[in-house]
Amino acid sequence: MSAVLQSDASPAPQLALRYLRHGAREIAIEVPVGSVRRIELPDSESKSALVTAVLKARCEPDEELELFGQPVKNLVGRARQKIRNRVGALSPIVGLINNLNAWENIALPAAYHGKPPLAEVGAITQEVLGVFGLEPRTFLARVPDELGKLERKITAFARLMVAGPELAIIESLNDGLSRAECARVAGFEQEYRRRHPAGTLIFVDIREE
Amino acid sequence: MLRAVREIEGGLKLSVNAAGRLPVLRKPPILESFLRQVYFTGVTASTGVVLRASLLGVLIIAITMDVLDADVDLAVKILLLVVFREVGPLAAATVIILRSGTAMSAEMAMMRISGQTRALRYMGIDLYDYLVVPRVAGVMVATVALTFYIQALAVAGGLLFSPFIIEATFMELASRLFDLFSPVDFYYSIIKSLLFGFAVAAACCYHGLNPPDLTQNAVPKVVTRAVTQCAMLVLTINAVFAYVVFGILFFGLVTAKV
Repeated sequence: MSAVLQSDASPAPQLALRYLRHGAREIAIEVPVGSVRRIELPDSESKSALVTAVLKARCEPDEELELFGQPVKNLVGRARQKIRNRVGALSPIVGLINNLNAWENIALPAAYHGKPPLAEVGAITQEVLGVFGLEPRTFLARVPDELGKLERKITAFARLMVAGPELAIIESLNDGLSRAECARVAGFEQEYRRRHPAGTLIFVDIREE
Repeated sequence: MLRAVREIEGGLKLSVNAAGRLPVLRKPPILESFLRQVYFTGVTASTGVVLRASLLGVLIIAITMDVLDADVDLAVKILLLVVFREVGPLAAATVIILRSGTAMSAEMAMMRISGQTRALRYMGIDLYDYLVVPRVAGVMVATVALTFYIQALAVAGGLLFSPFIIEATFMELASRLFDLFSPVDFYYSIIKSLLFGFAVAAACCYHGLNPPDLTQNAVPKVVTRAVTQCAMLVLTINAVFAYVVFGILFFGLVTAKV
């Protein structure tokens, strides 16, 4: 009896994300802090709604969203921005900037916000590209139009690793990739985990019916 | 009508925002974007205007002396007035509208349509800071530089090549030029070209960031609107500026006598 009571009293794991969407197709998602989850949503509209809500830390009237235990509906100004700084995504919504080369794309947020320092950005980028077998000198000078789908995803992933979000969402990772390329991008999870052992990683995809 | 009012309001807001954010130029990526804008608008445009600007000076001197039967004094005076006050800044503004205004508005419209501006916002990058301020500042600097370049080439061309077609020596023309040149012309063309650059860049940024719809078809519409509005703005500023400076300032408010 006392064991049961003890078990009941132990705190529930803190959630990095709690998302509810009401309507014709109910969606309920709970992701504990520090976990890796694969979420399949019924359609692309629901998928972009989730990613957009998380990235904006803002939800529509038919949605409920909590990030790191805080309901985003009550957030204002700086508090919302603080939460937004803790999340990041590899998603078509946060694509690459076409008139910047791969290095400028990776370094842009850091150069604009002044952190992390560019030397650190360079080191992280080299490591990430090394893991995925890309030669930085030629690769980083190319603009997005000169990159293949896999290379664009690796660039966006390197940018995500530089930002180092506590909650990272990777949307439609395998879209447009060959089987061999899918095997390579599977390494994203391991690389994220290696860099952010306590971070939360969510893979979002559309359910195949 | 409503669209015009909205455009004026939006353009003014954008201009005020851009002007108030100039200190962000210190941030490395914004400074880089600013320098890139100066290079593409000013430096790359400069090679194409050498011959045309030089011929402009020759034409002004030759026409005034030949057609108007003017003396060296009047010819050089007209060269100064026309090149420094009117044609120099206008020619620079025209080159910039045609070369950079079109490119800038199309590029920004493409960024907006393809979701790149949204990506910047999600990365916490302010669109005014990263897209508008460096372009506006860059185009302003480039317009001033290109104006001086055109003025210098037109005057030099006029002085060097006119002696081949009129009866005046280079020394004669040059000495009259230095006698007649006044600093007012210099300041006048700086302020005017700064205003031209600001108006052109602000109009192009405004239209680029506010396409009529988010399809590829919106790009040519954006470019057409931006270029038309830039031309109208430049002509309006030119007329108002000339009237304010040389009308009211030097001769008082002009009133009709009945």
